[in-house]
Amino acid sequence: MTKTIIRTEKLCKTFSSGGIQQHVLKNLDIRIVEGDFTIIMGSSGSGKSTLLYAISGMDKPTLGEIDFAGQKLTKFSNDRLAIFRRNHCGFVFQQIYLLDNMSVLDNVLASGLLVNKNKRELVKRAKELLLQVGINENSWSKFPTQLSGGEAQRVGIVRAIINNPKILFADEPTGALNSLSSKNVLDVFSEINRSGQSIVLVTHDVNTALRGNRVIYLKDGVICGDLQLGSYSDDDNLERHERLKEFLAEMGW
Amino acid sequence: MKILNLALANIRKGKSATASLFIFVLVASLLLNIGLMVVTQVNPFFDDKVDQLKDPHAMFVINKESYHPSRSEYLEDYQGVTETEKEDVIHMENSTYKYGNGELNSSAVIFNADAERNIGAPRFIEKLDSPGTNDIFVPYSFKTDGGYQLGDQFTLTSQNKDYEYRISGFFETTMMGTNNIGVMKFMLPETTYRKLASELDNRSEALLLSVIMEDKTESSQLSNDFMKEVQLSQKDKAGAYIFGLDIEMVKNVNTLTINIVATILVAFAAIIVLVSLIVIRFRVSNNIEDGMGNIGALKAIGYTSGQILLSIILQFILIALCASGVGVVLSYGLMPLFGNIISSLSGLIWVQKLDIFINLVSIVLIVFSVVIVTLFSAYRVRKILPVAALRGGIQTHSFKKNYFPLEKTGGDLHFVLAIKSTLANAKQNMMILLIVIALTFATVFSAVLYYNIGSDKTAFVNIFGAEPANLMITVKADADIKELLHNIQQMDHVQKVNIFDLIETKIEDQIVYTNITDHYNQLENNIVYEGRQPKHENEIALSWVVSEQINKGIGDMVELEYGTETSSFLVTGISQSIGNLGQVAAVTMEGIQRLQSDYTGTSLYVYLDGISNKDFVKNVQNQYGEQIIETLDIDENIESQTGMYTAAVLALMLLVLLITILVVVLILYLVIRTMIIKRKKEFGVMKALGYSTLQLMNQISISFLPVITIGVALGGVLGYFFTNPMLSVLLSGAGVKRLEFTIHLPIIILICSSILILAYIVSLLVSRRIKAISAYALMTE
Repeated sequence: MTKTIIRTEKLCKTFSSGGIQQHVLKNLDIRIVEGDFTIIMGSSGSGKSTLLYAISGMDKPTLGEIDFAGQKLTKFSNDRLAIFRRNHCGFVFQQIYLLDNMSVLDNVLASGLLVNKNKRELVKRAKELLLQVGINENSWSKFPTQLSGGEAQRVGIVRAIINNPKILFADEPTGALNSLSSKNVLDVFSEINRSGQSIVLVTHDVNTALRGNRVIYLKDGVICGDLQLGSYSDDDNLERHERLKEFLAEMGW
Repeated sequence: MKILNLALANIRKGKSATASLFIFVLVASLLLNIGLMVVTQVNPFFDDKVDQLKDPHAMFVINKESYHPSRSEYLEDYQGVTETEKEDVIHMENSTYKYGNGELNSSAVIFNADAERNIGAPRFIEKLDSPGTNDIFVPYSFKTDGGYQLGDQFTLTSQNKDYEYRISGFFETTMMGTNNIGVMKFMLPETTYRKLASELDNRSEALLLSVIMEDKTESSQLSNDFMKEVQLSQKDKAGAYIFGLDIEMVKNVNTLTINIVATILVAFAAIIVLVSLIVIRFRVSNNIEDGMGNIGALKAIGYTSGQILLSIILQFILIALCASGVGVVLSYGLMPLFGNIISSLSGLIWVQKLDIFINLVSIVLIVFSVVIVTLFSAYRVRKILPVAALRGGIQTHSFKKNYFPLEKTGGDLHFVLAIKSTLANAKQNMMILLIVIALTFATVFSAVLYYNIGSDKTAFVNIFGAEPANLMITVKADADIKELLHNIQQMDHVQKVNIFDLIETKIEDQIVYTNITDHYNQLENNIVYEGRQPKHENEIALSWVVSEQINKGIGDMVELEYGTETSSFLVTGISQSIGNLGQVAAVTMEGIQRLQSDYTGTSLYVYLDGISNKDFVKNVQNQYGEQIIETLDIDENIESQTGMYTAAVLALMLLVLLITILVVVLILYLVIRTMIIKRKKEFGVMKALGYSTLQLMNQISISFLPVITIGVALGGVLGYFFTNPMLSVLLSGAGVKRLEFTIHLPIIILICSSILILAYIVSLLVSRRIKAISAYALMTE
């Protein structure tokens, strides 16, 4: 039995600039299911990032409803959204955005301590997660500028999941990384998804999209396609690749 | 032209940074220009007034009975004298009148306003058109400081008799025009003058000898020589009196407070200039960091380091030039305020002159300082390679220290994050620390000044050498002063009574005002700062002024002359006193009795508790009126004499307070705004992680608290320990060797807490800008 975490109803987002209105999301109805690794794809300007930030409580839609685990996000104030985010969401960004003035461990704890007051338990978990993503003890006291891009992004993922979020949102997490670093980071995403973490990830990279079990394709603010790929495994990579290519070709990618 | 364009482009780019810098430079130049103008213009202003009014350079009041034409001849023949004049005046030795908030007791010299005179003719500032039968003309200080308007009633009391007048005019005078000389000049129309003269005894009939010299700086010498000459020949004449004033002495007294106020103003302006320079350094550094990419691009396309440096310097020169120019212009708008204070302190109309030279000095000083600071801050541009600049100035990885790791640090998360931020911004915080220290010190300094001059005046009055009793009773010569002292001592509400006289004596041929009392340890104000007051009959304490004049110190013997007798005294202490121009000494009652065996004293100083001075005067007059010549309300007298200082210091304190608030607000605005812009990404990320706006605002505010708390505490401690030494240095020129202004710890704590709370509120308000940073906007930039 699948459980819906996020459900949107007629979600619209309009930007105004110089008197000109741009409708980026148009009456979107979408369901994000628990445990899924959902990929949002689309060409530039299709509204994929806008959708990600709207459903994660980072931004407010112009019209429509967002139901996140039974809570109506559209009715929340900014501060309530902040509290909501800290309790239920994790974020991984393309530019990584680690806090420059804090060590690796502090970056993770600065997020974790907001929610978890049991510091001993939290530090233990942070260290376990860091080891899990391949950041060993030598790097824990380093500053972000002393890490490689891949390492920094893996720290970013640990920071995002430290509070056991209901959903991990990722916006082009491998966009600024080389292929090797990208693979390492994607492996981490796959691994945590396997352990039950729901993920919504925006990308325009096919290799990244392959990691998802569901691919939603957005075009001009409207969902054009929704592909169910099944759970990722290294073994069926080729077949998944073919299905995805077909789907994307159909979407006009 | 290319360089100028670069500079102008930089200014256009950072409009708000330019605006805040503009304000700092403007305030600094405004204060500096006012301070310099006041300091440099006060002395010439007084000298010009003497010339404009053709006031005497020296004048002597001598009782008519003992006058001899040889006196005038002596003055006429004195070297350097160009003009003399003699005229009849009325002299009231002891007159009392309302002045300011109290009653002033002084000598009064009353002139016939209609008499012909070449020297010191009155110049009226205001005058009633319709003459009356009881008109009186008074010095301009009665309006600026005394609280009188044209047409007001004026009561002059002398020898327990009231003379009622209507104030019909205010005139300017450099001589006898203020309440700090001990003698006041009045003018009456001829009929009123004659009427008053006929009502008074012969002793009040006096002559005024006025002298104009080629060089007025020689007036003090003339005055000394003439007084010696006259006193020598008047020795045996009972009832003969003479007193004199010279323009140098009067100028010193009148410009003393103005110079003190101006010096404090310049000192405060220096603090603000310093603060501005620290801010400029901060701004330049930020400017360079922000524009590092541009610098890289310019270097890449072939601009030399020198050209880029020049464009940065030019940018700040342009801002400093414009701001200091506006500051100097605005200072002329504020000068009337200081002009009023100067008028109030000197009794003369301050005419503001355009002083191009000082204006240029202010502008050049400010611009030069800005150039130096900019050069120091911007010099590193020369060393940065184009590629490093293009990378944002990062040449190598900067390995920082991770202060207070969250894993190991206990306490509230937001507090720990705030402290981490404090330590991560050490340079910027050092700037805030220095500024807060300077401003807290300045505020404490001015508050202490105001408390001691405007509120509890004891310490201020002490530096004048006055004894802070409540009442002075002058006893008739035939009364038994010891018995009267004993009787008054027994009256209700009397704490204690001392005989305390001030008599005119000579020490080593110098005229010195000598205090007499039985036991100096019973006085409240011990003016001796080195050695001790006299205890035995052969001991004397001298003021440092007298000590320097006669070149005698502790352990030396001096000759004290009183009446016709002279005796030797051992100097036991050196005292300070601004009163009587510092010409002060002290001997015991037994000491003066060595010179006049029947001397018993004439003045009783009464210290009261729980009764108003007026009520007590009534009681004492009822019971012992027949033994009393007159009573003087010392509190009222002090109140009326210090009113002008209070007003001047209050204005100064308000100015310091206002600027402190302005600077604290501006600094925090500038720093927090810059911080928010610089850390926009970081705050956006934290918002994305779930930190609320309020939590981030608190983090920012709390991150400034340690440095502001330390700054406020250090400023407070410096203020507590160094206000008195600094004031002593500032007032040393006025004869103050030791100063013990009361410094109330609770007041300092209140000031420090207020600055701290103000800083916290301001930082909270300024950090509200963080609300505008949306995590979403940051991510989608």
